[in-house]
Formats: sequence, C-alpha cells, structure tokens
Amino acid sequence: MKGNFKTIFKSGKFDVGLAIFALLLLCIVIFPLLNREDPLKMNYTMFQPPGPNLPLGSDNFGRNELVELIAGGKTSLIIGILAGAIATCIGLIIGLSGGYLGGLVDNVLSSVTNIFIVIPSFIILVLISVSISSRSFLTTALVIGFTSWPWTARAVRAQTISLRNRDHVNLAKVSGYSIPKIIVMEILPYIASYVGMAFILQVASGILSEATISMLGLGPQNTVTLGLMLNWATMYEAHMSGAWWAFVPPVLMIALITFSLNLMNTGLDQVFNPQIRS
Amino acid sequence: MKSYRKYMTSKIAWYVLTFVVAVFLNFLLPRLIPGNPVSTIVSKITSGMADTNSIKRVYETFEKEFGLNKPIWEQFMIYVSNLIHGNMGTSFGQYPRKVTDILASSIVWTIGLQLPAIIVSWILGNVLGVLAAYIKKGFDRVLFPVFLFISCIPSFGFAIVMVWLFAVALKIAPASGGYAFDMIPSPTLSFFLSVLQHYQLPFWSIVLVGIGGQSLGMREMSIYELNADYVKYCRLLGLKDSKIVKYVFKNAVLPQITGLALSLGTMVGGALITEIVFSYPGLGSVLFNAIAAQDFPLISGCTLLITTGVLVANFLVDIVYGLIDPRIKVAQQE
Amino acid sequence: MAEMLLQVENLKSVYKTRFNERIVAVDDVSFNLENGKCLGIAGESGSGKSTLAMSIMGYYHPPLFYESGAIYISGIDIAKLPYNQLREKILGKEIAYIPQAAMNALNPTQKIINLVADVMKEHVKGITINEIKKIAEERFETLNLPKDVLQRYPIELSGGMKQRTVIAISTILNPKILVADEPTSALDVTSQKIVIKLLKDLLKRGFIKAMIFITHELPLLYNIADEIIVMYAGEVVESGKAEEIIFDPIHPYSHGLMNSIIVPEKGIKGKKLAVIPGAPPNLKLKLEGCRFFERCQFAKDECKNGRIDIKCANERNYRCVFGVEELKEMYEDDKKPATT
Repeated sequence: MKGNFKTIFKSGKFDVGLAIFALLLLCIVIFPLLNREDPLKMNYTMFQPPGPNLPLGSDNFGRNELVELIAGGKTSLIIGILAGAIATCIGLIIGLSGGYLGGLVDNVLSSVTNIFIVIPSFIILVLISVSISSRSFLTTALVIGFTSWPWTARAVRAQTISLRNRDHVNLAKVSGYSIPKIIVMEILPYIASYVGMAFILQVASGILSEATISMLGLGPQNTVTLGLMLNWATMYEAHMSGAWWAFVPPVLMIALITFSLNLMNTGLDQVFNPQIRS
Repeated sequence: MKSYRKYMTSKIAWYVLTFVVAVFLNFLLPRLIPGNPVSTIVSKITSGMADTNSIKRVYETFEKEFGLNKPIWEQFMIYVSNLIHGNMGTSFGQYPRKVTDILASSIVWTIGLQLPAIIVSWILGNVLGVLAAYIKKGFDRVLFPVFLFISCIPSFGFAIVMVWLFAVALKIAPASGGYAFDMIPSPTLSFFLSVLQHYQLPFWSIVLVGIGGQSLGMREMSIYELNADYVKYCRLLGLKDSKIVKYVFKNAVLPQITGLALSLGTMVGGALITEIVFSYPGLGSVLFNAIAAQDFPLISGCTLLITTGVLVANFLVDIVYGLIDPRIKVAQQE
Repeated sequence: MAEMLLQVENLKSVYKTRFNERIVAVDDVSFNLENGKCLGIAGESGSGKSTLAMSIMGYYHPPLFYESGAIYISGIDIAKLPYNQLREKILGKEIAYIPQAAMNALNPTQKIINLVADVMKEHVKGITINEIKKIAEERFETLNLPKDVLQRYPIELSGGMKQRTVIAISTILNPKILVADEPTSALDVTSQKIVIKLLKDLLKRGFIKAMIFITHELPLLYNIADEIIVMYAGEVVESGKAEEIIFDPIHPYSHGLMNSIIVPEKGIKGKKLAVIPGAPPNLKLKLEGCRFFERCQFAKDECKNGRIDIKCANERNYRCVFGVEELKEMYEDDKKPATT
C-alpha cells in the first residue's frame, strides 16, 4: 500500500488537482478567520463594481461578493461532500450486496439501479425538493445524496462480481466466515481505491447538482451557496447590467472545485488502472 | 433478424417497466413527503385559506380533476386514467390553460434546441477525443485539461457568461428569448432568421460543455482500444495508422453511443437550466416559472414529460446500437 | 551454405517506464535463420521471448526501445529503418506475425474479409476487391479453412478457428519469415495439433520460407523446430539443434527444463517449462554474474561475478562458467541419489 501512495504522487494530474483543491480549501477555511463579515448582511448598494473595499464588488442584494463567494464555496463543498458520502454509502451497500449475493437479490437490486440510472436524477431531485417547503443545506445534501447513488452501485456491483470467485474469497467461504465478514475483509479492501475514486466524483457531481437545483429556485434557504449566487445573479439579471462580478466568480469557483476533483480522480485512475497510463 | 427481434422485445419490456416506475414516482413523491404540495393545497381549501374566489376556483378544479379527497390508490387510478386521456390537469399559474397545451407549445423549442446541440457536441467531442488519444503528447497534454475544465463548468454557468460577453458586452447576439420579442411566430423568413439568431448562444453553450464531457469519455475509450491486441496485430500486418485509427474510432464510438444514452439525463438537466438563463421558451423556462408560481400541476407535467423524453431518447439509442454493433447482434444469437 | 533469411546480431532492447526505469528485456541476442528452417525460442514467461519477437520485427513502440545491434532481412538492417518504411516494405510482406492471444487479435467489429482486403490493398498496388476475394478464398481453401469464415465477424469463430484464420491472414502475402508467438498456448490439444500442422503445411508449400516459433511448451518445439534457442532473463543461455537441446541439454537451466522429458513418448506430453523453483531476476537491477545463479542447484562462488560469456562446444552454444564435461558429471551425480 505504501508503494501505492508513492505512485499516486508520481501522477502529475493528481498532484495538480490536489494542489488546486488544497488551495481552495485553504481559502475557504482561512478567509472567514480574517474577515468576519456576515455573508448574508446587505451592507452596500446593488451591483457595486469591484474596488479597493470590495475586491469582487457587491451582488444584487448589496452583499460583499467576496465574502459571499467564500461562504458559498464552503456550503457548496459541504453539500457536495455530504451528498457524495451518502451516495457512495448507498451505492456501496447496494452494489456489494447485489454483486456478492447474486441471484434474486442481485436481479432486483440491479434492476432498481438501472431504472434509476435511466430516470434522470435531476427530475427526482425536483420532485422531492418541491415537496419540502423549508430546506436547509443539510436537506439539500441529503436529497442529492439519496438521488445520485445508482452509478456507484452499478460500478461496485461489477467490481464485486469480478472478485466474488477469487481464491482468497473462496478460502474465506470454506473457512466458514459470515457473509458480512467476507465482504468487509476480502472484498472491500480490493475495491477501496475504486470506491475512493467514486466518492471524489460524487462530490463533484453533488456540487453541480446543488447548482442545478438552486438555479431552479429549489435550493437551500437562509444560506448562501454557489448555485444560489448564480440563481440570484440570473434572476436579477446581473449579466444584463454587465455586473460580471456577480456571476463569473461563482461559475469559476464551481468549475475549479469540480475540475480539481476530476483531475485527482483521473490521476488515481491512471495509477490504479495502468492500461490508461501510457 | 430473429435475434434482433428478441433484443427489441426485451428492451421494450424494460423501458415499459421503467416508464411505469417513473409515472409512479411522479405521482407518489409529491404526495408522500409531509408538507407536500398536494396536501398543502387540500388544507388550504378546507381551511378556507384560499380566500379569493379565483384561487379557490383554481384549487377546486384541481381537486375535481385528481380526486384529492379519495384514498391514495384511487387517486393513482384517476391520475393514470387522466394521463391515458392526455389530461395533466389545469395550470394554477396560467389558469384556465391546460397543462398539456402549455407543454405542447414549449416542447418544440426544447427539442429543437437540445437535440441538435447534443448530437453536434457528441460528434465533435468524439472526434476530438480519439485524436487526443492517438496524437497524445502535446495535443493530449493541452487538450485534456482544457476539455476537463470545460466539462466542469455547468452549462448554465457557461451560458450566463456567454450572454454577458456576446450579448451585453460585444452586442453581437440577442440576449434572450427564442425570437425577437416584437414578433409573432409565423412561417416567414424574417421570423426564421430571428429564431436562428436567438438560437446561437444557447446552442453553443450547450455544445461546448457537451464537447468537454464527450471527448473525455471518448479519449479514455480510445486509449483502451489503442492498447488492444488487434491494434498491435494490425500494425504488425503493416497497416497504416490512419486505417487503424478508423478501426479504433468505430470500436470506441460504439460504447460511446450507450454512454450518450446514460449521460442524457444529466445533459438534458443542464440544458434545461440553460434555457432559463436565455428565457428560451422551452420546457426549462416553463418548469422554472411553474416552480416560482407553485403551479403544481404544471411542475408535475414538466417532470413527467422530461422523464418520458429522456426514456424515449434512451430507447432509440438502444435500438440503433443493437442494429449497428455486430458484437450485440451476435451475442443475441447465442 | 543455405540462404540466410534473417540475421540478428547483438540485439539489445529496453523498456523504459514512465518513472525512468530501464528494463533490458533483450540483452545481446544473436542468431541466424536459414531458408526452410524453423527456429524455436523457449523460455518462461518474462524471459524476454515475446519482446524478442517484437524486436526482430523491428517493431519498437513505446515503452519498448531499440538500444543496439542489428537485424538483417534481405540485407537491410531493419532495426534502423524509420517506422514508415518498415511498415511499407517489411511488415506483413517480408516478415509476418502471429500474436500470442489470437483471441483478441482481430478487430471485433470487422468482417474477416475486410481485414484481408485492407492488408492486401496496403501492400499490393491497384489490387481490386474481386481479386482480393479470389485470392483469399483460394488460400483459405488450400489451407483447409471454410470459405465462409471470410464473411464472418471474429466473435462468431471458435478459438481454434480464430487462430487458424489469423495464420491465414498473416501469411496471405507469402512473407519470407513468420514469427509465431505462442500460437497454440490458448488452445485445446486438438486445435493445437491442427495449428501445428497448418504451420508446417505453410512451410512445406512455400507460402513462408522460414519460421520462428516461440513457446513455453517444450513438446511443441520437439514437433516443429529444427533449432532451438533457450532464453533466460533476456539472454540466450543455450542454442543448438533441436534434438540435442531437448535430449542433451548443457546449460543448467535448459537441463532443469528438459531432464524430465528424456522419454518423449511418455513423459513429453503436457510438460511445461515452469518446473524450476524460484523466479527470474528483476531486470530493473544491474545484474552481475550468472543470471540463473539464484535458482541454479549447481551454482558455485565463481558464478557470482563478472560477465558470463557464451561458450561453444559440441556444435552448441551455452552460457555457463563450467565446461561440458564438468556439467555432465554434476548431472550424473545429481541423478544417483534420485534413482536409489
């Protein structure tokens, strides 16, 4: 495993992705310590252009765009990580049990998975969000997590099936280990790298889902996220007033976070699937 | 051909099942969660909170159409029978317009925008992807991060930047709408030109983001194919690389067809939001306005229509795929 | 003196990994291939025999790189030929290849005839599709392959049929030399026999003039090869006439491989090479002394150091510090306690 970690860092893509991500994370963590301004407080006039006091200007509500961006980035990232963790866990449980148990259980689980891959998760997200009248960012994260697991489930299932009949698994079977123990001891370690990569992608797609749902006006309330910032900018026609500072930063922030995550994922993929390495 | 019929039958059965699940979810989800829109409506009627006569009338129409005071399974039967008769209820926001009428007038715009955009981005993305995999070195090193970055920008984020850049700052394209606001849709040349003009920005913002995603997938598939044994064998037979890249393209692009089907849901979702940015008269804008107006029948109609559209597109892709990939054809014979 | 079709002189090929490691997979290999002969190359997996196959075709594709030496085919040193000229003049035309895993060697979405057509169009100027069809059908018939295979997709063919098809495609242009890399290792015994017969047939009919047969299964070489090269860790450890190498191996490695098959009628069936305990050395390291040292039961201190050169004795070349008589004695001594 040690060798693995070393090779991970030999992948340039992973390094760059990690560097960008770490930098963004550092900003998100450190900035609020230095500037304690409330991101939701309307201290300025509408769409004030960037200046010495306001590095990124103000938004349609007269809020400090930079403070808002950092706070929004933080909330979006938390939503992404929470949603990603939930989706990965559900996907893992469904994929592992279907793939390992096989038979009827697998038939049912993989049918359900495939159905939810074809039905756009975005639609289910809308249907659920519409029904919840007060949404905190936690609710949003939960809903995203519960709608985006099918991809992970499918991938984990495929991996599990390929492992199911390996010698070490059979050995554990004849040794009389219980099914959960076999799954945890003999299968999980072999797909751990894969699950880690799936999690990274789920975080990225969680952030994008938040932005999508917020654009529709179904985002979390009483908070600021990157998606909400974009939603406000669109509703108040920041682009028509030429107030680029109201939407370019959140767009870039979304792109940078997901880009760094995707880059890390690609780097890991090259390490763990050497075929793509050359 | 017998085998293909078998393939078709199983696919049709599968999609019918998926469609039934989709209809069921579309009915159930907004009625299941505490505080859901339907029960809110019911409580508003019964508590007399729908004070003005007009709102009362709106809700009562809905109650009558969907039998809200009946048990939930009976409501579902009513819902399904309404659907079969092409009735999705009456819009709250645009009362007394029928939901189906509103959807019918907007779906043309959505299909007209998204279908070509998705196809164009798919083709361009695949060509660039196979080139990136084959040329490697500089090309790949520059293109890969660029594609990846573009694919990470949500298409609506891209759209809003494009509107600002091309419509507001450079003033070379109209900012919003499907056609000039002073026009009435008619089969005239000037109307057609206006549509074309308004088409450009939304079209390209969907295409560019799509290219990013598709080319990445294609690049990976192509690298996989380029490492396949047959490539080495063909090279050792003395075949030209241009010929081999053609083989690789064909083999890598076939799975990309299924890839397209599977990413369709996400792409359509992003593109629908893009419509909002442009106030494009399609389903995305309708859904957005319906959500803002808490126009529940219209929201429900939109989600069902979008799901159905994605399912139909997926189905068509599957059918085409089964026709052109010999690997599937033969697998079915066994 | 027979005509030399292929001369390999001090060939050295290396793999360079992304992390700047160098693996010398073919180290200073020399041999000749005469007209009408079949040369067998034997060795465990990882001995460099497949890399040698790539190298003698001049096919250097990253991460494999040419380092030094020469490969002469019809007087041209193809190791130094630019890839484009190699592709146009040599590959498929002068020297052809049958891959290790013919199962996946055919493009899955292409009918066999289309591949044949592409190969022929590439090398024969102005040939028409009808001519190609005629030639291909004739050739398939001569080789006892069903004609309708041409109109099929690879997935529709059985493993044995696929391998025979690959052989027919590779030799359709009557190349002088055929390099067959483990052509039978994925096949069942019956298909193996058919394939071997087919390869011999090609040689007999003159569709090919000489052949290199690479394998890790000895019984096959006994059936087909005239001469044998035994490879270990990228080096040739012994070479000579097939019968002599099989029945009277000199090098301890060849001895280890072969001594169990002295009675061919009974013992030869199904014997595979990997019977010597241990694994080949890591070629990433700089190696000193005999590469077989760690696994050799006869190894002495003098084996550890310096470079062991090829010696020549009894019309045979071998790479060992000991003399032939010395080795023979050691083998006798080794046998005694085993028989009692």
